[in-house]
Amino acid sequence: MTVLTSQNVVKRFTEGKQTVEVLKGVSLDARRGEIVSLEGPSGSGKTTLLSILGCILTPTEGRVVIDGREVDLARPQDLPAIRRKSIGFVFQQFNLFPALSAVENVEYSLNVRGVKGKAARREAERVLDAVGLSDRKSFLPRDLSGGQKQRVAIARALAGAPPLLLADEPTANLDSHAGQQVLEMFRDLARRENRALVIVTHDPKVRSIADRVEIIRDGLLAA
Amino acid sequence: MVSLARRNLFHDKLRFVITIAGVAFAVTLVFVQVGLFLGLLDNASITIENIGADLWVTSRNTPNVDFAHTFPESYVQRVRSVPGVARADNLIVWFMQLSLPTGAQEGTLVYALEDFKAWNLPWNVSEGRLEDLPRGDFFFLDDSATRRYGPFAVGEYREISERRLKIIGRTDAARSFTTTPIAFMDTSLAQELSYQALRGKTTYVLVKLAPGADVAAVRAEITRRLPYNDVFTKAEWAARSRAYWVASTGIGLNMVLTVFLGVLVGVVVVALTLYTSTMEHLKEFGTVKAIGGSNADIYRILAEQSVIAAVIGFGVGAVFALAAGPAMEKAGLKLIVTPDFGAVVLVGTVLLCLAASMVSFRKVAALDPALVFRG
Repeated sequence: MTVLTSQNVVKRFTEGKQTVEVLKGVSLDARRGEIVSLEGPSGSGKTTLLSILGCILTPTEGRVVIDGREVDLARPQDLPAIRRKSIGFVFQQFNLFPALSAVENVEYSLNVRGVKGKAARREAERVLDAVGLSDRKSFLPRDLSGGQKQRVAIARALAGAPPLLLADEPTANLDSHAGQQVLEMFRDLARRENRALVIVTHDPKVRSIADRVEIIRDGLLAA
Repeated sequence: MVSLARRNLFHDKLRFVITIAGVAFAVTLVFVQVGLFLGLLDNASITIENIGADLWVTSRNTPNVDFAHTFPESYVQRVRSVPGVARADNLIVWFMQLSLPTGAQEGTLVYALEDFKAWNLPWNVSEGRLEDLPRGDFFFLDDSATRRYGPFAVGEYREISERRLKIIGRTDAARSFTTTPIAFMDTSLAQELSYQALRGKTTYVLVKLAPGADVAAVRAEITRRLPYNDVFTKAEWAARSRAYWVASTGIGLNMVLTVFLGVLVGVVVVALTLYTSTMEHLKEFGTVKAIGGSNADIYRILAEQSVIAAVIGFGVGAVFALAAGPAMEKAGLKLIVTPDFGAVVLVGTVLLCLAASMVSFRKVAALDPALVFRG
């Protein structure tokens, strides 16, 4: 089942009198259980495309459908609701909340999604267990290794069962061993939990888990 | 539910302490300034509030209870014959000179009546019998005189207007705004001591109404019979006495300015610490937005932080202010803090802290959640 559909996505940024076209008509789909690797040099438009697929930015032109819901270009105020319901993010810098423990980081994302109380705590513990961090759930991020932090971030992205996961350079700040562990976890979880996963990366190791590799250059996907 | 607001606030302990200190400083200042102001004003009308008179007849345009002017004592007869008047007596309030054993001269504010007990004056006698006052050259002195005159004891003698009088009683809590100690004596003695000014004269007529009497009607009739005097209810007279000191000394303006500056400092400290905290946690707020949080979720975080700071800061400030009370009393100052005023300060503190958090909110509301993707 197709979770992500983007067609002819164009994105232009205007700075004063100058207009820069970062994306020039990109079409990208992803299905449940599928892992798509999105590669490209710096400045190719990867992060901009990820922002649009993640409903953080709206495209200037084009069509984006997330989990059957069309992103309305005219209503950017609806984007947070789409992110809450349908998208989980894994960031390069982990972006955990330093004052919250591992389980609280996951639980908080569930609270934002409208899941509260014991139900949120149960789900948080479940996904932490799924990433193998049950024994670290009370630890603050400062007491976790890089790989462990990224696993908490993955758990946070998975919590609430969003059908689409978007990962921005998830192994960039990890050593090769930790990075490999994270990639294997991504593969296992994407299959087991039946989520679509799009990974923006420079890391060639990601190809080992990807079902499809897309290369973006100068705002266009290579044929 | 996880409170990101609370956890972030307590996570940086030093910043949290600074924020609380800022709020507590402002709260303490407000309580102490206003409390002292109310204490001072309380002294301006405490005798009026405690004397059991429903109406006060004064000479025209008397500004406050301490600065009395005389009028004929026979006017009391006109008041006594007004329907609805149960009792009316002359009260003399007059400044006189008291000589200390050292030879130094100090002022004293004399309250003179024929029947003190009928008017609940003085309302707090700690030593002596009021009924002995007419029997000789006797007077009562309020305990607060110790600060100005030095220690005294019942049975000792002092000179008032160069006449040797015996202290036969001691009172407590009788104050004047000017801090001039209050003495109580019989009317005829007071008139003898200031013969030229007070012979055949009085400064006030106290009026007690009969049960069910129409205050407005009695007042109107007294005014008709005494067209060159003013007639006030107890509440009006107390308010007038207080208002005089507020308007003529600038203490009101001083209090307002000091309170304003204290509040400004508190608000600035809270706004600054919240703002710096927000700037340091900007990426976290970006993450909250990226995972689906709305601006309302962000404002809830900031609002919760400012309310926590307000409530804890208020508690600390209130404790400091209450602890200052006994120290103020030792210095002869009265600090009045009522529960109603406390509630007003609490609500004001919360509202101002919430307003201070708007500075941070404006920054975060405009935050681009795409910053979470930047390294």
